[in-house]
Amino acid sequence: MTMTRKLDRRGFLRTGAAASAMTLGLPGIVRAQDYPSGNINVVIPTREGGGADRNFRAFTSVWKEKLGTDFEPGFFPGASGRVGYEIYMGKNEPDAYNLIFGNMGPEVLNWAVQPPSFPLEDYFYFGRVDTDPGALFVGAESPLQTMDDIIAASKERKLNVGTSRMAHPASIGLLALGEELGIEFNLIPLSGGKNTVAGAVTGEVDFSVLTSGSVIAAGDSVKTLLVFGENKVGEGLDNAPNINDAYNMSLPEMLSSRAFAIHQKAADDYPERFDLLQSTFKETFEDPALMEAYVASKGTPEYLNYGGVEECAEFMAAMLELGERYKPLLTGA
Amino acid sequence: MGDTATILTEVFFETISFWWVIVPTIFLGLIVGGIPGFSAANTIIILMPLTLSMSLETGLIFMVSLYCSARMGAGIPAILVNIPGTAGAAATPLDGYPMTKQGKGQQALAMTFVASSLGGLLTTIIALAAMPLLARVGFYMHSVEMIVVMLFGISLIASIAAQDMLKGLIAGFLGLMIGSIGTDVVYATPRGTFGFLELYDGVPLIPALVGLFAVSEAFMIIEKRLIITEDAQKAMARPSWHATFEGVGIAFKRWWHITWTSLIGLVIGVIPGAGASIASFVAYQQSRSFSKTPEKYGTGHPEGLIAPESANNGVTSGTLVPLLVLGIPGGATAAIMLVVMQFHGVSFGPSLFEESPKVGYGMFMAMAVSYFLMILTILPLSRYMSRVTTVPTIYLAPMIISFTLVGAFVPREYMFDMYLALAFGVLGYIARRTGYHVAAILIGVILGPLLERYFLWSLKKSDGDISILFSSTLGNILWVGLVLSLVVPIWLDMRRKKNAQKDQEEIPIQ
Repeated sequence: MTMTRKLDRRGFLRTGAAASAMTLGLPGIVRAQDYPSGNINVVIPTREGGGADRNFRAFTSVWKEKLGTDFEPGFFPGASGRVGYEIYMGKNEPDAYNLIFGNMGPEVLNWAVQPPSFPLEDYFYFGRVDTDPGALFVGAESPLQTMDDIIAASKERKLNVGTSRMAHPASIGLLALGEELGIEFNLIPLSGGKNTVAGAVTGEVDFSVLTSGSVIAAGDSVKTLLVFGENKVGEGLDNAPNINDAYNMSLPEMLSSRAFAIHQKAADDYPERFDLLQSTFKETFEDPALMEAYVASKGTPEYLNYGGVEECAEFMAAMLELGERYKPLLTGA
Repeated sequence: MGDTATILTEVFFETISFWWVIVPTIFLGLIVGGIPGFSAANTIIILMPLTLSMSLETGLIFMVSLYCSARMGAGIPAILVNIPGTAGAAATPLDGYPMTKQGKGQQALAMTFVASSLGGLLTTIIALAAMPLLARVGFYMHSVEMIVVMLFGISLIASIAAQDMLKGLIAGFLGLMIGSIGTDVVYATPRGTFGFLELYDGVPLIPALVGLFAVSEAFMIIEKRLIITEDAQKAMARPSWHATFEGVGIAFKRWWHITWTSLIGLVIGVIPGAGASIASFVAYQQSRSFSKTPEKYGTGHPEGLIAPESANNGVTSGTLVPLLVLGIPGGATAAIMLVVMQFHGVSFGPSLFEESPKVGYGMFMAMAVSYFLMILTILPLSRYMSRVTTVPTIYLAPMIISFTLVGAFVPREYMFDMYLALAFGVLGYIARRTGYHVAAILIGVILGPLLERYFLWSLKKSDGDISILFSSTLGNILWVGLVLSLVVPIWLDMRRKKNAQKDQEEIPIQ
């Protein structure tokens, strides 16, 4: 028996209404099936070819397999990352097709010193890729070869200390050390890691503080004396002790930490898309191919370190608090 | 010593056998160096996957050849159409372009190729021989000393102002004011950014450079049919080897000038953070100061072209010294080389010449061989390159504007930078029309922020005590040198005028 049914006007309207109701009632299911239907654009607030670029390419080379789409970077350097964030928040659609890959340490610290034009609650980090602690180091030919030498010299004169910029986790680590030991250091922002290493090596400054990855890259031109966090690489950082162990302090780790962030509105409006981003991000860490890609991009394997929304939020809050605390010293106010 | 000689001989023959990498790379470098906004640094970044897939030796030779040839390439459009490809070539058009306008573009190109190659070759050999000594320069040249070096370059404004003191100084101060736009180097406080985030890091150099020189020049030349005179066009319609050899001869006659100005480049190049733009302006200023005919500078004087070109190629070998000996890259390109070489497992720094001597010596050898091959490959092309000036301005001016706007866009990929180049073009055009020297503005824009940076570092180090400027022996020697280089030419000029007046008085009236 063959059943035939004629679709009349009422029937058509009823069916249409039911279909519309289903679509509107269950937008998540329908839209999640579509997502991602195109590339994910990622704003990188630093120059092409730098550490963030290499790190991004290594990570997304594995993540793209999990998410099933490619990642397209856009480089917007300038003003310590501020340009990239302003462009991301001001011009990119909050639709989960636009992300930003920043450095939670110095960039968040920057907000404490000079707030951005957008409310900080409008974006959040959801995927931490790595954590690289700051380090204190001297030039190989420096007369100061131990922390005791530095402390003794500090009692005679105010030592000049190179840093890549004032609002940097390593600068905070140094200021906290000075506070603990009752020593006043003179921070000299030498505009970038390259100059900061050169400053310590050539004697422009007495010693420098910087992200440890850059210190490791400087090889035997420098000697590391202290790490503002756990020394996970041992000899690579001259077996320098953790600041908390050496001086019985309880300073949070002063990290440079690269992470992906998203508009809060995108996570609110498209929870299923955000869930997919989060879950595939986490899966990426479980794939051994990630470590291979990370090492191939000259990343320090010990620094590859997964973090989710909670860990990132905790770190961001700590940076904002420290930035607020040391604001007068960092801004000269 | 015997071991080193053996290694050097081996490395030399190995490098020569890579001619098939060097020659195409030279042409690539000349192209990317000649396009404003492109440079050896960003080309190596773009081609990084290719570089990483090469063997260590090939990658090294490729990067070094590209670096040298891009530096030379930047001078070509600076001479022919007043567009310096990079900030390092900003002093080149001062005398190069007037030569082109006089129909001597071919000679100017030949001169710059010889000066660049000889300067580069000579400084490479010196750097190789005196590497440990040169690596120490950075240990003595700190922010205080660099302030004086900057002032050597900035004092060029005063030389330019000598032609019209008020207008020269106004242009120089305007440049310095534009150069102070952006966040300050210590506390990152924004100044004069007018709310534009794109200006937080200061006025980007390439848009300022191409705007002031090239765009304004395009506005100027459109009012004429040709860049060059009709007579010059007729002469250039029949390109000959004669003009090339004439340029080569002029350059070789000034071998001593090439030598000492390239040494200025070498010494500035070994200081981490200093670069070709500083070296070329300082060399030009020194060349003019000690010239017997300073009044000819800016009118198409060969020494005014040779000095900046020798110096900026001297910088090329200089930047490798701190990279190889200390592990500190002297400039942006050297920093990228560091990344690529580390990728191949080579560690730079004091132990490099013990662990991998072939890599260390190989980089200098690659540079020397590149400069040698460059002169052979590029010199014959000068007779064809110079013919670009015979193109009517109705075609040339739009092409210049299009190229320069793309060039302004490339380094940061901001549309803002294209508008900025146009704004600088209008500023440059008004300056030219009203008799203000655009070079004086540009010196302020390029060297002003560097002077401010070293000045603020010095003051921060001394807690605001200004006497730090006179606290080092080397710094004080440089101060004396600066004063002498400013005062002696004036004194010599006065003496010359006095003697001339005396001679005139002694001529019996008939």
